[in-house]
Amino acid sequence: MNPQSGITEATRQDQDLASIVAALEPDQLASAKERRHCPRRSLTVVEKCLFWFLRIYLVFMFGVVIYQIWHGAR
Amino acid sequence: MIDPKTLPKPRGGVPSDLLAPDRDVVITHEDIDRAHDRELVWETRAKRGFSSRARLLWLLIGPGILVMLGENDGPSMLSYAATGARFGIGFFLPFVVLTFLMACVVQEMTVRLGAATHRGHAELIFDRFGPFWGWFSMVDLMVGNFLTLVTEFIAIRAGLGYFGVPPFVSVLAAWLVLFGALMAHRYWTWERVTMVAALFNLVFIPVALLSHPHFGAIGSALITWKPLPGGITRDTVLILLADIGATVTPWMLFFQQSAIADKGLTTHDIRFGRIDTVLGAALAALAALATIVATAPLFAHGMAAGNFEAAEFAQALRPFVGSWGAALFALGMFEAGMVAAVTISTSSAYAFGEVAHRPHSLNLPFQQGKSFYLVLVLEAAAAAGLVLIPGIPLVYIVLLVNVIAVLAMPPALLFLYLLVNDHEIMGDLVSPLWANVLALGVVVVLIAAGLLFGVSVIDPHALALFGGK
Repeated sequence: MNPQSGITEATRQDQDLASIVAALEPDQLASAKERRHCPRRSLTVVEKCLFWFLRIYLVFMFGVVIYQIWHGAR
Repeated sequence: MIDPKTLPKPRGGVPSDLLAPDRDVVITHEDIDRAHDRELVWETRAKRGFSSRARLLWLLIGPGILVMLGENDGPSMLSYAATGARFGIGFFLPFVVLTFLMACVVQEMTVRLGAATHRGHAELIFDRFGPFWGWFSMVDLMVGNFLTLVTEFIAIRAGLGYFGVPPFVSVLAAWLVLFGALMAHRYWTWERVTMVAALFNLVFIPVALLSHPHFGAIGSALITWKPLPGGITRDTVLILLADIGATVTPWMLFFQQSAIADKGLTTHDIRFGRIDTVLGAALAALAALATIVATAPLFAHGMAAGNFEAAEFAQALRPFVGSWGAALFALGMFEAGMVAAVTISTSSAYAFGEVAHRPHSLNLPFQQGKSFYLVLVLEAAAAAGLVLIPGIPLVYIVLLVNVIAVLAMPPALLFLYLLVNDHEIMGDLVSPLWANVLALGVVVVLIAAGLLFGVSVIDPHALALFGGK
């Protein structure tokens, strides 16, 4: 193996890798996304109430849909 | 220019991860492909002139067009067809335009969120709100996606059934097409192939023209929102809800944000992301309006089309649009189901990967994205299999899928609203006041439509309170 070509190959590879890193924003790298997650935030009382209200709304309306299916089937 | 082929190949079972020069950053196959796409964008952006702008637009469009035309899926086109057949040209034409404006408002938020965070919707919900609320949204998404996928295969079966293709063959062929679209293991290729297929949705426009529509009546309906034959009845409310569900659904939020992250769009690309979304909405609205117009002759001739499936619509339209028109209608139904099957199963796979912290990108080779690809094809296979079971009430499932989508939308929108107003992750890109007002308006309309549906089911006579019958 020609040591000269080995060095050239390694340099070219480094340049390629550097250009990949340069082309992407730091948090666009898959590994960076995996390492760093968005910190958790706490919900306010109003937000929690809204979430629960919409959850109850969804469950109730699903009941209505099931009733309609049952009614239609009869 | 980076040529992925010049980079080292994966060694053994170890992913092709490489240490970058600073020894701190790990580069994956997914990054290499994405960087390649981004370099093209940067190079094009650096140039001036109309052709460079047009090329930049070509490079950056995709998720918006796919999500909007993808949502013109089997049940949606069937809803529009039922709308035209039951109500003709009138109130529902401008109403459908309104629903697409609502979709634009909602999807624009996912463009900003995806470009600012480079993360998928499911991942952000889990990270910011914790697993308790995260699982609620995941269950909503997965149940909705699976039911919708079933209806896509119903549309595929019905569309090809018009040409005499046996159900098993049509469903298997569709699943193989879905599988084949993934073979490139490249987001860019997948996106372009799916986008070309999605543009076939516009086939409903020639069908509408073949029905010799009265353009004066169309123009008048779009301005006056009239007539609404029969007034507000239980049927009207069901169609109203089905048409809303045909345009705004939870999977669209998850899909577009994840696709934007996978494509690699950044905050510099938000303007083009918006153009992409509006362009997609305009194309999808045209196809939707064309479908209503195409089936309006059924209303004019008093033909009952209440429980029509796709193939029956095509057959019933034959005297009005000719055999070519009917064949195009059936092909359009097949295409609507096919493209949506691809996009919806992809949205499930993205969400699963984000929540399970498994690699999730269409740029991944199969070995590295095994779980991502398996979720995608297995979910589609399960839905396809269900359609082949004899005696399943397919018409019911089709009608109710859009209704369920509308009901599940307000909770999904609340997550989106909170995320897009979160300074910590959005910085200066938080929603301005006008965008928040519009978003809340959409939530109010959706909840009101859901409650109206509830009233129409529980006590139909109460519709009189809203001027109905």
